Amino acid sequence: MEGRCTVETWAELGISSSPTCLVNFGTDVFLCTGSDEVYAFNTQQRKLTAVLQFPGPVNDLVESYDKQVLFVPCRSGVYSLNLQFLLSRFQSSQASSCPVELKIPSEFLVVREERVLSLIHVGSILLILSQTDTSWLFSLYKTTKQTPTSKYEILSSISLPHVAQEDNELKGYVTRRPVLVCVYSDNTRPPYLSSTSSKEAKTLNQFHLEPVLFRNLFGIDSALVKSPVILCGLSDGRLCFLPLLLPGLQLRVLHHLEQPVVFVGASVVMKTSPAHAQCLVVVGELGRVVVIKREKSVAEGKYNTVSITEGCLPGPVVCGCVDKHNLYFSTGSDLFLLELSDGSQGSESQHRNEETCGALKSHTSLNVCRVMSLAEPVCGIAGEVELLGVSVRGQLQRITLPARTEVGCVVNDLLPAIGDVCERASALETSIKSKKQILVHLNHVLNIGILLIANQNSENNLPEEEKPIRCHAILNWNRLLQKESLNLTCVLNNSSPYILQQGWTLNLDVCPLSTSVSTGGESHSTTFSLPFCNLHPGQTIKVSLPLAIAEDKSFPVMVNCSLIFSLAGLLGEEQLLSSCISLPLNTLLVDWLHVLQVDCPTASHRTTISQYSSGTKDILKTFLSSQHNRCSGRGPEEVEGVLKQKEEQYSANVHVSLNLLRDTQVLKSSHIDLSHSISLLDWLLFEEHGGVKMGHQWDKTTYSSAVVRAQASNGDKIKLIARKVNVGKECLEREESPSILEVQVEGKSIEAVRGLHHAVLNRLLTLLQKASRTSASARGVYRLGLRSALHQAEHVLKQIQQSRILKAESFSASPRQMTRSVTYQELKGNCLL
Amino acid sequence: MYHHISLLDRWIQENNEFVNKWQQQQREGDSSNPGLNQTSLRWCSSKFTKLLIKIQGISPLPEHAQLELSVVYNSCVCATAQSQFTEAELLLRRSTERVLQMTDDEPPSLDPLVFWRTVLKSVKSKTFSSCILHLLCLQWAIWLASCQLKMIEAFQEDLRSLYETLCGGHGDGRKIEHKGKASDNILLLADPRQLVQLLQVCTLIAKGAEMLSEGQSSEALSCLQTASSLSAPRTLIAYTHHLSGCCLAHMSRPQMALQCYRKALETDARCVCALYQSMLIYRQLENTQAEIQALHLLYSTLMLPPVTELALPSAFLLSPSLLLGSQSLNSLLSVPTALSVLHNLAQKCVLHGRLSEGVEHYLDLLAILHSEEQQGCVATSQVPADVPHLPKVPELYLEAAAALLMSRRPADCMVLCEEVISTTQDVLPEKWVLEIEEQNESVTRDVNDRMAVLLWTGTASLLQGHCYTHLKDWKQAVIHYTRCINLLVRVCLKREGFQSQMTSSDAVVKKGTRLCILQKLKGLSLAGRGISFTQTDQLKEALRDLQLSLQASPEGVGAGLWLGEVLWRLGRTQEAAACWEKAWSVNKQSSAEGLPLYLQEPQSGPLLDSVELQHRIQELTPT
Repeated sequence: MEGRCTVETWAELGISSSPTCLVNFGTDVFLCTGSDEVYAFNTQQRKLTAVLQFPGPVNDLVESYDKQVLFVPCRSGVYSLNLQFLLSRFQSSQASSCPVELKIPSEFLVVREERVLSLIHVGSILLILSQTDTSWLFSLYKTTKQTPTSKYEILSSISLPHVAQEDNELKGYVTRRPVLVCVYSDNTRPPYLSSTSSKEAKTLNQFHLEPVLFRNLFGIDSALVKSPVILCGLSDGRLCFLPLLLPGLQLRVLHHLEQPVVFVGASVVMKTSPAHAQCLVVVGELGRVVVIKREKSVAEGKYNTVSITEGCLPGPVVCGCVDKHNLYFSTGSDLFLLELSDGSQGSESQHRNEETCGALKSHTSLNVCRVMSLAEPVCGIAGEVELLGVSVRGQLQRITLPARTEVGCVVNDLLPAIGDVCERASALETSIKSKKQILVHLNHVLNIGILLIANQNSENNLPEEEKPIRCHAILNWNRLLQKESLNLTCVLNNSSPYILQQGWTLNLDVCPLSTSVSTGGESHSTTFSLPFCNLHPGQTIKVSLPLAIAEDKSFPVMVNCSLIFSLAGLLGEEQLLSSCISLPLNTLLVDWLHVLQVDCPTASHRTTISQYSSGTKDILKTFLSSQHNRCSGRGPEEVEGVLKQKEEQYSANVHVSLNLLRDTQVLKSSHIDLSHSISLLDWLLFEEHGGVKMGHQWDKTTYSSAVVRAQASNGDKIKLIARKVNVGKECLEREESPSILEVQVEGKSIEAVRGLHHAVLNRLLTLLQKASRTSASARGVYRLGLRSALHQAEHVLKQIQQSRILKAESFSASPRQMTRSVTYQELKGNCLL
Repeated sequence: MYHHISLLDRWIQENNEFVNKWQQQQREGDSSNPGLNQTSLRWCSSKFTKLLIKIQGISPLPEHAQLELSVVYNSCVCATAQSQFTEAELLLRRSTERVLQMTDDEPPSLDPLVFWRTVLKSVKSKTFSSCILHLLCLQWAIWLASCQLKMIEAFQEDLRSLYETLCGGHGDGRKIEHKGKASDNILLLADPRQLVQLLQVCTLIAKGAEMLSEGQSSEALSCLQTASSLSAPRTLIAYTHHLSGCCLAHMSRPQMALQCYRKALETDARCVCALYQSMLIYRQLENTQAEIQALHLLYSTLMLPPVTELALPSAFLLSPSLLLGSQSLNSLLSVPTALSVLHNLAQKCVLHGRLSEGVEHYLDLLAILHSEEQQGCVATSQVPADVPHLPKVPELYLEAAAALLMSRRPADCMVLCEEVISTTQDVLPEKWVLEIEEQNESVTRDVNDRMAVLLWTGTASLLQGHCYTHLKDWKQAVIHYTRCINLLVRVCLKREGFQSQMTSSDAVVKKGTRLCILQKLKGLSLAGRGISFTQTDQLKEALRDLQLSLQASPEGVGAGLWLGEVLWRLGRTQEAAACWEKAWSVNKQSSAEGLPLYLQEPQSGPLLDSVELQHRIQELTPT
């Protein structure tokens, strides 16, 4: 991103506690971290090229004025290392990838002096600052020969007494190294320098200062002799200067910072005089910064003076460096930039300068932390600035700043950028979260799917009621606006351990059991889709749906329940509309019995009990005999006229062994015969069968007899009678108590009678299946017989329905007659167990 | 008992170890490095202090006394060598008191004289009496180094007997008669016998110098004569001769003084102070040639590579420079810096007609200033106030420029002036108020003394004007003189306490002050412009300028003569004659004295022939 610092770690040099030092020789960087070792790092190859071992800890590295020699103050004195020599040594063993280890012998020791605090090299003079108990000692050493290992001889020395410190507060600072820099006045260096330095080598501690400022600060004398001036920032806060070439070595105090001086440098280079810095900047440890400039506004009667601007920076300042326009300083927790130039390159903004002269610009954070030491910055072609730094942990870092003019604006740019990033991050986070949720969701879905499919496969093993997710229904008749309508209240019960979350749809597919031939085998199925959300384990959902308006539906009706999961709902993609998972649940069967509208028991109804003579022989068999009491050929009249219905009565009966009923807990309570019958009817009518239950309860106690009068779905009156019958003598021969219950269905509509008959048979079959599961397989015989009877009954039912439809469609009577006769034959021949 | 002796042995061993190590370090390291010396001295000091703490940790025992006192001696030597006199003195006193506890004498009094006398009396017969004597030597050294000559005076008798005891019978002071076998060889850092000899000489020298500064020259002389007969290092003997010379000079016997100085130089060729003092005597005798010669010698001696401190036997810890720290002696031994001598030499040469030689010296001086060679010839010791300081660099430039102009090298002169002007022009004040105080002018501590800068720039312009006059480019000359005048009028004079400004004529112009220089400059520049105007026949302007010039600086000879000339040309012959007469009457010598070279009247401009003027006057009078 534009406008942001990039930090590149080049090398790790171990943790350093003491102040580090960094010196940059073009592509070679030397650095020390307070240990005995000095590291050489090549910035082009980006690798550690050498490790120089010294006899004592090294805290400072100083380059010579011409960048040819590296001075290393150590315990016993100052070592001088020629750069060319060192580099050749590095190159000779370049082949190996690991850095060269060089032990520095004592012949490189050029000055024997202990307690060297700081030093600086100017021309052939080496100025060493050391400390005695009472004073600072500036010693000038000089070499005559140009060989790198030639010893330096002392020329003279000057001492500066310590400032008496009453408080111990400043004592801790004494350990801080004084800062030494050299300032030149003129573009052309003194003649003794020009011979040796062919190219303009910029060093960290040598500055060219604008001549007028130089004269104002250091006097005419220094300017006349073109003396280099050593500026020394002491740890007691004094900023002293020492003109090197003036007779009598006079050390004077330029300024007092009242806190240890950390950095002294010169900056602000104008285009008009590219070689000279316009201002001198001094930074104290606690953040005081002093900018010394030439007074710009020369008012009437005044002369050129210097303006000293003091400012406050965030402390504690650890290190600093300057480039042509800016001061960079690190507090350890952040790296800052302070723009020193006024920003005016010409005279057009002279007026503005006068106004803003008194104050410093505000510093800008570069968001780089832990920088302990900095080398001089390198300005790139595009205006970007590269800084080399050493971090607290001893990492050599390259810090690249964006093009300089932008830096001020950068902060403003950064804020929205940070906002953007924040937004993006939160968006990503939510999308990840939602994806996770979807995955969790899908996982649930899959779990549910597996559960249901597994159940399907093992359907035989698991009874309907024990399925983890199943539907059951309650039927209700509603009377609304003189119209009777049948409502199916479907209850979805989730007893699985999974939650049914959003996206699930309960699909109820309602279709008649028997499809008519006339419609070409098509089923008249109606599908109800009921989306729901969050069905927790153990919860249920109730759905009411109209099953049929009276007389509109043919029964029995199958209700296929299935759960559908739509991925579209989950992913919100339109392309996925079609993709969904369909999991079939159980099937509900709504038969004639279910839809019976039981009349309230009245006295009149109670008396009418039709007698029925059994025609069956076998004891163990339930005999179904459907008698055509009246003329069988009267069918058409029955439909045509309601009045005539009274005359025509159809009946069908089913015999059930009492034992069977007892075994299967149908008859729960009493031993009274009558109550047996009532219980059977109750069971048939109001217990749950095929997952469907009648809506209203029948109060058993109100029924004195086991006769139920009801209205079938098509409006026909129907009578259900349950009674105990005695089977013939054959029974007695075989077993002791062949008690049998008979269920008789009587009605004027053959359709209704058949439907009910079928329904009763179906229920008994289910009961038998259940019983076989629990009891021995001996009753398999019953079951077989019952089943075949059921099949036949079904078949007959279909035929009846068919015929009814045919009739409705006004077909000729003859084939119907024929069919009916066939039916009846079949029915006659039907015998049940 | 066994335990004690073994402890004693260990301590002796430890002590000797330190002494040996120190001596070894001295042999190895170059003694020229003061830093290194100081370091090892500090190391030594701390070692001995620690050892002493151990020894004094147990109650004083007679068997231990000798060792203890020796360690005290060593420790004190270290402290004294580091100029920690009070610490050393305290240590001496405490340790001695501790030893005295063994003799059961009453606690000695606080007065050091009484104290030492008591001590000497009570230990007379003891085995460790010699050790006490050593400590007394140190006390002497401390008194001497801290310039307590009165104390030494008071204790003179005892010190003399001490000197005789130590230097008398026994051959080597280091091996004092020891009875115990263990204490046979306790090494000491400094040989007490050498020390006492050195102390004797140094005391006499210091005493002599003190007497001399108090004006008791003859007493001083006898004292120094005694000193010169003693055996002592060569430098010290040279000092005695030199000081004797100083005494004689004070007693107005310059020739005898010169003899003494010669003796000093013969003893020690490096005795520059003798050379300097003889130069001063030549100056006093107005023997200019000899003076220049002496300056020459002095300069070349000073420019010799510095020799390491004279090698005293086994790098004596307590050096004469440490012991001879008195102010009066320092002022007698002080010598100006080499650059200052060179400047003096150049100035003398120019002023006394050896122009080319003088110019060369000036150029040498400037060259040295630009090189870094000069740092070597700066005396490291602080220069006392009475030794002339080198003038400021711009002044040296201007003097050199003036010298160049005198030797008729106007082009070179102009280069130097241009240099000064270009450097100073940014720093010039627009206006300056010069407060005239009755006493000395306060010398501002400002790096850029604005007033001085203004004067320098003005002078540079003046010299440029002189150069153009020399080249007879009158127009340019007028321009530069005008520049100078414009600069000078920026200065307003103000008497302290008075609000109003004053005219220059009101002020009493003292020689050498800023005001004097300012007035002189005004006079010279106005005169120069006036003369230039005369050459271009702008007589009215010339008349005004010359009159103003004389107002500013009445002793201007050239201005007076040329004013007469202008008046003559204007036909005011009587006035002209009066002017000339007045101009001739001015004492040329006295007016030039004390003025820098560049403020001397130019000798290179158009000149008026005095004989011809005399002739004109004579023509005038008879009629």
